Formats: sequence, C-alpha cells, structure tokens
Amino acid sequence: MFDTFIVNPMINALLVLYDLLFNNYVLAIAVFTILIRLITLPLNLRQQRSMQRTQEMQPQIQAIQKKYKDNPQRMQEEFQKIGYNPTESLTGCLPLLIQMPILFGLYRAIIVTLGSTPQAMFELTQRTYPFIDLTPLLPINNFFLWLNLGQPDPYYVLPILVFGTMYLQQKLLTPQTTQSKDGKENDPAQAMSRSMQTTMPLMFGFFSLSFPSGLSIYFVLSNLIGIAQGYYMRYITAKEKEEAAEQKKSKKAKKEVVMDEPPPSSADVAVAQAADADVTSVSSSPQAPSSQKPKSKRKRRSKKS
Amino acid sequence: MTTIKRPAFRSILLLLIFAGLFLTACGSRVATTNWPGLSTDGKNLYLANGLSVTSYDAATQEVLWTFPGTTEGINRQVQFYSAPSVQEDRVIFGDYGAPGGMLNPKVTVTVYAVENTGPTAPIDWTASEVAFDKIVAPPLQVGDVVYVGTADNYMLALDATSGDPVWPQPFETGHSIWGQAAYSDGTLYVTSLDRSLHALDAETGVELWETQFDGAIASQPVLNEDLVYVAEFGSQVHAINKTNGNIVWSAPAQNWVWGAPAYADGVVYYADIDGNVFAVDARTGASRWQAQTPGAVQTSPLVVDGIVYVASEGEATEDVTAGALTAFNTADGQQLWRQITPAPLFTPPVAVDNAVVVAMTSESAILSAYDLQSGAPLWTIAPPQAEG
Repeated sequence: MFDTFIVNPMINALLVLYDLLFNNYVLAIAVFTILIRLITLPLNLRQQRSMQRTQEMQPQIQAIQKKYKDNPQRMQEEFQKIGYNPTESLTGCLPLLIQMPILFGLYRAIIVTLGSTPQAMFELTQRTYPFIDLTPLLPINNFFLWLNLGQPDPYYVLPILVFGTMYLQQKLLTPQTTQSKDGKENDPAQAMSRSMQTTMPLMFGFFSLSFPSGLSIYFVLSNLIGIAQGYYMRYITAKEKEEAAEQKKSKKAKKEVVMDEPPPSSADVAVAQAADADVTSVSSSPQAPSSQKPKSKRKRRSKKS
Repeated sequence: MTTIKRPAFRSILLLLIFAGLFLTACGSRVATTNWPGLSTDGKNLYLANGLSVTSYDAATQEVLWTFPGTTEGINRQVQFYSAPSVQEDRVIFGDYGAPGGMLNPKVTVTVYAVENTGPTAPIDWTASEVAFDKIVAPPLQVGDVVYVGTADNYMLALDATSGDPVWPQPFETGHSIWGQAAYSDGTLYVTSLDRSLHALDAETGVELWETQFDGAIASQPVLNEDLVYVAEFGSQVHAINKTNGNIVWSAPAQNWVWGAPAYADGVVYYADIDGNVFAVDARTGASRWQAQTPGAVQTSPLVVDGIVYVASEGEATEDVTAGALTAFNTADGQQLWRQITPAPLFTPPVAVDNAVVVAMTSESAILSAYDLQSGAPLWTIAPPQAEG
C-alpha cells in the first residue's frame, strides 16, 4: 500500500524529472523538492499563522492560566472564549510529522532509483510505470561534485548544511517565545517549539551522516525553501501589522477629531429641530448647511453611547 | 472533569527518533543487500551471502570454512555478495563496504584474499583503501594479478599475493562495474553500466579501445576465439571483434538482456527479463531457436554437455514466490525438465560433479542441487539459522 501510493509515484516522478532535466539527478531532486514543498505549502502557511496567532494571544493566555490554574475546566472555557485551542498550538512540528511519510518514501525512492545494487535496479524495473522507457535513463548518474548520491557525504559538508539550514528554518518558522521572570517558558507548547528548534536539526544532521547524499540534498533544498517561506511569512506578517497599526492610528485620529469638536449649542439644536420639521424651507434658507452639522454629530454621539 | 494535557512533546520526540532510526535502518538494508554470489572450482562451492562467505564440499555438502567466522579484526557487519574468485589455494572476494561508525560517514570497502583451507580460511591479505563503493563484480585472477571492478567506477589490478596495486592508477569507467572482467592474450575486457565495453592493456591498465552500446551492461563479457560477446539493456547481444572493438553482429531480444551470454560449440545462448531464451549462431548472430522460461531472467545461462540451464525468477503468485530452473536441449531448444525452487533465482547456476547448483535467498534453502541430466533434486543446504 505504502509502496503503491507513496514510493512508486515518487520513483516515477523522479525518473520523469531526471529525463526532462538533462539526466541530472540533483536537478531532478531539486524540482521534486519544490513540488513537494508546493503541495505542503497550504499546511505550512496555516500552521505558521496559527503559531503566530497563539503568540499574539500570549498575554491573555498567560493571564487565564494564572487565574484558573486550579480550575482546568474553567481555564478551558476561557481559552475557548478567546479562540485559543491548546492542542492546536502543540502542532508546531506537524508539518514535519506530515513530511515523515514523504521522507520514508523518498528514502526508498532514491535508493531504488539510483540502483546501486543489481537487486535495487531489478526492483526499479518492477516499480516503473509502463509509459517510462528506462533503457535510455539507466544508469542514473550517481555522482555530483564530490558526492556519490547513493552514499553519505564523506566530508561532512551535507550533514553540516542539513543541520545549519534546518536550524535556521526552525528559528524562522517558530515565533519568538516569551519567558517568565524566572526564565522559564510560560507556555509548554512554546517550550516544545524551542526544544524542537535545536533537537530536530541535531537529529537530522546526525542522520545525514548515514543517509545517502541524495536524501541529504533533498533536506538542504527543502530547508532553504522553508527559510525563504519563513522570510516571506515574516514580511507578510510585518506588513499586516503595519496596516493594522495604521488603521488603528487613523481610527484613533478620527475619534480625537470628533472628541475635539464643541458640543452643539441650544440655538443649533433649535435650528436642527426646525430643520427636521420643515426640510424644504430650511434647505432653501442660507443657514441650512450649518444647521445640518449638529444633526449629524448628534447621530454619531448617539451611536457611541 | 476535563484536564488540559501537557504537550506530548516527549512522545513526539520519541516518534521522530524512532522514525529517523527506522529510516536509517530501512535505507541501509535496501542499499547493501543483494542476491547471493556463487562460484565453484569444480569440486567445492563458494557462496557469498550476506554476512559470510562459505565454502562447501559439493560431494558431502559439508562446510569447509566460513569467513569471517572467528577471524579477528574483521568488521562483522560487512556484507558479501560478489561471487568469490578461486585459484588453487587462494580465494579472493570483496565486500559491500562498512560504515565508518556513528560519526564517520566514510564507507570502507575491502578486498580479501584468504587461504582455501578450513575451518576459518586464514587471511592472506586485505586491501581497504582501494575502493569507496561496494564490490559487486566477481574478481578475476590471472596468474598473480587479480582484477577487481568496483561500484565506484574503477577497475583495479592488484597483486594477488600481496594486494598491492599493479597499475600506476586504476582504470576509471563512466559508471559502476558489476560484471567480472574477461582476460585474453594480454588484454582485459571490462564492461560497465556506462554502456561500454573497454579493452585495456592488462599490464598497464591503459585503454586500447572502447565500444559503446545503447543500454547499460550489468554482466561480464564472454570470450570466444576472436570475438567478445556482450549483453546489454538495449535488448541486444553483440559480438565484437576482440582486436579493434568493431561490432560484428547484433542479435535482438524482446527486453533487457541482464545476464551474460553463454558460448558453447559455435552457439551463443542468452535470455531476457521477459523470460525469453535465445540461441544464435556465434559467427553470424542468426537465430537458431527461441524458448520460454517462467519469470524474468537476469542470470547467465549455463551450458553443459548439450543442455542449457536457465535460472529464472519463476512465476510468482500472490502468496507464493518461487523460482525456476529449466533445462533446454541445445540442439533445438526443447525443454528437457523444469524444477521449481523455493525462492526466485537471481544467481547464475554452476555445475559441479553431476549436479547443477543454484543459490537463492529463502528460509528453507540457500543452495539446491539437481541432477544435470534428469533434473532430479539431489540435495539442499538450508541457511545456517534454519539448520539449528
């Protein structure tokens, strides 16, 4: 099942890309990475937004946590009121977990596609879709720069790159955490995210010591795209914040203008009442424009009250 | 009362660690396994299968020696699949490489020369700095030189008595070498997945000529008096002039020809991965006959006394995987007998005494012998863990 729906489509996609991209396996992996990233993009973006929203709510969340620390049910209710779902915030590594089947599949796809043993190559013949002609594609060019794509990088460059890019990506994708006075993380979800920030890159850097270089290249490229995505998200968020701040500012300014204007005099009120009674006559009188102002003011004030 | 659970970050972390380890384990398993390698010196059998190389007495089926056995200083994790090369009391084979360790990504591949004596086959020499990717091709011993093809594209010439390099530098092809080299009159013929047949000066490693084909070549070249026969993934078998590399004739198949052709008495036999078996005239490539065997064939046919034996993948059903060994009459391609084996056959059969022997990967048998003439089962050797 896993092979039919994950591994085999990946193998065939890699072969098609290899064919289209001048028999360059690294290029095939690069385009494949972009495609995978595009497919998982909506999930990633949603996840990032969710994390940012949680971050913005932190003061409220902390206040509720402090206030109802002995009453979890009430705490839950209060969280619901402000639209915060604690379980949702725990999904900091969800995109990564969702990528797991992709990684499993890709791992096998790369090994099989590179056909580094007769057995692997024979397996490839049995997994290839009938519309792909393998003869002109094989053997897959398994060398790139100093790398044998079916073996780990002997010079540690890729493991270091995997660690570095993944760390940077995690840092960009994880909102900055708030800490209490004693230096502890206030939100366990944040603590987890922070822990993941270093644990994950270390783990994957370590695994890259035994991964085939082809898979490490996928990690590096995927992380680089993630970094670009992180920067883009930051840009979008900053822009949104700026716009929100401007809107707030202009609202405040309008409010101040309204507050600064003097209250209507009794004469104005009288004129306005007259205007209400006989619109035609008032509108034809020279005082009409000034008489309409207080009316509108009144309406505004009544709205506010 | 509902409670707010703390984040399950420990379990997520564990899951990720597990996933990573699983990923690593899966990958290495796929990357370093292959089918057994089998060879014979006409009396004993030599089987490279996973963690050991074992010699069996073909007459008694007794184990003569196992390597590494209790030999000290040998990495017990390395795998052996290339058919050992036997010359008198010296057996030479290579491994699939050992990872450098937890923090060392370097793969070390070793060529071993051992004495052909039991019970542990003492080491003559090892060469560990000569290759960085697995040795799939069986080594070839010619006098005191052993020629070893590597999956990192090199053909090495080593002193068979010491393991020292003979050529100033190894010969590099365009891709992995999976087929054993062939030697004739001072020339070494090397096939590679780079779709080429290379002729080298056996003394210096200098290339004399190269002939390119449409598809990759996974098997060894086969020599006749003045021709070299090569099978390729381009669904053809070619006869090439030994001296200048010109193609003399090309004979078609219906799909990839993975295994090497076999030459006997003026006829060339080969089979494709669709299970078609062909016999063509060795001089002209004209078709003699065509037959069918169940499942894909990626082994070389074996010809003994007017019978051609073809080991194949067999017909797999949903629940049962089985291989097939089929015997055809060399004269007309008529099927003489067929034996179903416990597992698909991907290793070329060998003949020893009155038996044709096949190697496989199954829980019940690693070696099975059948009577050359009648095909009657003679004996079976179970894998070591099944014996107990």
